Amino acid sequence: MALQTSSLAGGPGEPSPKHRPVGRQELSAHDTAVELLVEAGAVVASSLDLTTTMRQVARLTVPRLADLCVIDLLGEDGSITEVAVASADPELAPALEEMRIRHPLNPEGEHPVARVIRSGRPELLAEMREGLLRSFAQGSEHARFMVEHRYRSAAVAPLLARGRTLGALSVLRLAESAPYRREDLELAGELARRAAMAIDNARLFAQVRGVERRLEAVLANIAEAITLMDRDGRTVFANQAAADLLGAANPRELTSANPGAIMSRFVVTDEQGRELGRDQMPSRRLFAGERPEPLLVRNVVRATGEERWLIVRCSPVLDPDTEEVAYAINVYENITEVKRVQLAESFMAEATRVLASSMDYTETLQQIARLAVPRLADWCAVDVLGETGEIERVAVHHSDPSRIALAEALDRGYRPALDDPAGVAEVIRSGKARIFTDIDPDALAAYARDDTHLALLRDIRATAVIIVPLAAPTRTLGAITLVSSDSSRRLTHADLGVAVRLGRRAGTAVESARLYTERTRIARALEAALLPESLPQIPGMEIASLYRAAGELNDVGGDFYDVMAYGPERWLLVIGDVCGKGPRAAGVTALARHTLRAAAILGQTPAGMLGTLHEALRRQPPGADLCTVCLVTIEPQPARVRMTVALAGHPPPMLIDPNGRCRQVGSPGTLLGVFDPIVIKEVDLELGAGQTLLLYTDGLPEAGRAGLHLDEDSLSELCAEVSHPTLAGMLSRLEQGALRRAGGRLRDDIAMLALRLAEHVDLGTRGSEVRRPKAAPAPAGAAAGSRNAAATAVRR
Amino acid sequence: MGVPDQLRIEVRHDPGRVILSLAGELDMASAETLQRALATEELQREPMIVLDLQQLEFMDSTGLRSVLGALEHCRERRQEFAITPGSPQVQRLLRVTGVAEHLPTIATADGALA
Repeated sequence: MALQTSSLAGGPGEPSPKHRPVGRQELSAHDTAVELLVEAGAVVASSLDLTTTMRQVARLTVPRLADLCVIDLLGEDGSITEVAVASADPELAPALEEMRIRHPLNPEGEHPVARVIRSGRPELLAEMREGLLRSFAQGSEHARFMVEHRYRSAAVAPLLARGRTLGALSVLRLAESAPYRREDLELAGELARRAAMAIDNARLFAQVRGVERRLEAVLANIAEAITLMDRDGRTVFANQAAADLLGAANPRELTSANPGAIMSRFVVTDEQGRELGRDQMPSRRLFAGERPEPLLVRNVVRATGEERWLIVRCSPVLDPDTEEVAYAINVYENITEVKRVQLAESFMAEATRVLASSMDYTETLQQIARLAVPRLADWCAVDVLGETGEIERVAVHHSDPSRIALAEALDRGYRPALDDPAGVAEVIRSGKARIFTDIDPDALAAYARDDTHLALLRDIRATAVIIVPLAAPTRTLGAITLVSSDSSRRLTHADLGVAVRLGRRAGTAVESARLYTERTRIARALEAALLPESLPQIPGMEIASLYRAAGELNDVGGDFYDVMAYGPERWLLVIGDVCGKGPRAAGVTALARHTLRAAAILGQTPAGMLGTLHEALRRQPPGADLCTVCLVTIEPQPARVRMTVALAGHPPPMLIDPNGRCRQVGSPGTLLGVFDPIVIKEVDLELGAGQTLLLYTDGLPEAGRAGLHLDEDSLSELCAEVSHPTLAGMLSRLEQGALRRAGGRLRDDIAMLALRLAEHVDLGTRGSEVRRPKAAPAPAGAAAGSRNAAATAVRR
Repeated sequence: MGVPDQLRIEVRHDPGRVILSLAGELDMASAETLQRALATEELQREPMIVLDLQQLEFMDSTGLRSVLGALEHCRERRQEFAITPGSPQVQRLLRVTGVAEHLPTIATADGALA
């Protein structure tokens, strides 16, 4: 209900032209009312302090409208509490306050205030007799109070705001004062409305303040760093976590900084190392109308070189009226630890791959140095301890090639020596990793040998240095040096872990490579001792051998072969396979060869010789030494060559015609060294002109990959394909054929021994004279890695 | 070179015997796998060990050695030992090396010894 106010032209006595003339008293009441409401509005607007405001409103009514004014509020618990009292009589107000405390109003009772609060409608009690007073008094004391103070007339208006009753405003006249009329109730209602708005606002404000405080408490305590940014790039709000993350002492430092000032403290790059500008930050993109994805950034603090990895997520706060982005909320998740672990693992995986890729460790260490820059540091150098105690630099790298020259100058002029007190030499001696995070100029000067040295060292502009040992399991083989210099990021203790691991991995690789080369040398030496260097000549015949080790170049094999003369015009061809590899197998091959030789010289038959070897093997200490042997005795006769083939568990030799037809010869026998008794069957045959006898080990038929092993037929096919003018050439071709079938990688070693009777043999008159054709030399270009021996030429 | 995981071994316990069914290739690279399988304690107590070679495609001399080793250990522990026939290559190897008659052979893994 709004009171119509009319303009008051002139003084109170003059009638206004638009309205009917009003009486003096009425105008005065009208003025009063208007005055009152204006003042009330002012009071309400001036302060948010609820109690103060209510008191002021109450006071306004006295004495213009009332002798006594009381404002009661409805509490959340449903109780009625007085919040303001004003009275013309100075003693009345405090007395009433006390009364209210001692006898609070019953919200369910008949007191006008309670009724008005319940109904939400005003009540006018124009004349209150004693009986009425007693009827709604809160006890006899209250009744007495009201009667004594001569309560006469009351107007009670509800305090209504947004549809809710917040309390009541009561104006009272006592004793002789004129009773209230309808208009007075309306005025009280207007006052009450204004007062209610004030209360409502105050409550809303308090609620908002409460929410704000709770929000602040939440934001202050959560771990994520949060900032609120406005369109101009100013940070409007930040929590402590954000301050910590962004290198500020407190949130205020962030909120008082100019836009962009914070970001300029860092070098901000993406995962690939490309620098990011302000416009690429999610908050700016949000204001530009985009919906940015979370962004992974790498922050390096310019001042300290400290590095952090963050995920920045940005959400908009929309203006409720315009729906535009008013603020951007940035949430920063610190994933530095996780990211570093990920980067370290990925680096180690690559480093491992590089180290395993080759036995040439100089090459792999150079690759490692290239790999480490710039992922780990700006410089990387690798030094290796030589056999005579000198420290040799095998690798150095910097992302800028022109800077490498500086390192080389240092290396040329000032090589570290093993007895240097500090640096690489100390790490090699002690086997301990070192990190230098503050390059002290004095320490540098002390370390330098002369002024030029110092100048060169300073030129590196190192911000931090890490030196780790190349740590092989048994000893330190060298050192890896990492230096951070030009880039913003500085090496810290956090980097030591990866560096030490790299040193260990590389050290082990270097040692393996060295042992490998060593073992290869030993294997070659052993092999040379165990296999015949050259084959004796058999008149009228061509002999050739070939030995091809499978992949592992430094394991001595278990295949053996031999050719020996053991009587006038008698020769023995042997090929065999001691199951296994390595030194033990090598020992058994030596035993086999020598035992068979001795048995042959003693005049034993082929079966007898194999039996002797079998006995010798059985007498060995247990260890499953078993062995297969193919033994062929040769007796060139005037018109032919007589042969006896004896097999002990070994694949049967091939007899190959000049036209390529082949067949296997010999009869299966028991392998040696396992079962007793052994069964050996000797088979006699003859070698005709142009025929070849091929002895081999199982590496040949089993060269094929799964499913492609050579059975008798396919082996025959292979032998038929490989005819060649020279025996050595034929063996090479067989080797190639086997390699092809094996897809380039042999399953097992291959040994082959072949014998050929030349096509045109001049039988001569006396039978014993046989024209000896020149044995052709082994063909050029024999397969790499194989040993070919022909009767006259020896090739390694 | 062979690959260790080219050999697959399945162990099955039947009344009175344990059956190791081999599949794939038994060679220099995978022989150790078989040796380890044979060395497990539960196998030592069985009255009979059967090496079922029906699914075995390939065997070389190292593989043969581990089979002969198994035979030897069974003899020492007074366990029965038998194999089932393998692929043609396996059979050829056993024939060429003359061990076929020394290895008790049964037609199927649950079959009876002759």
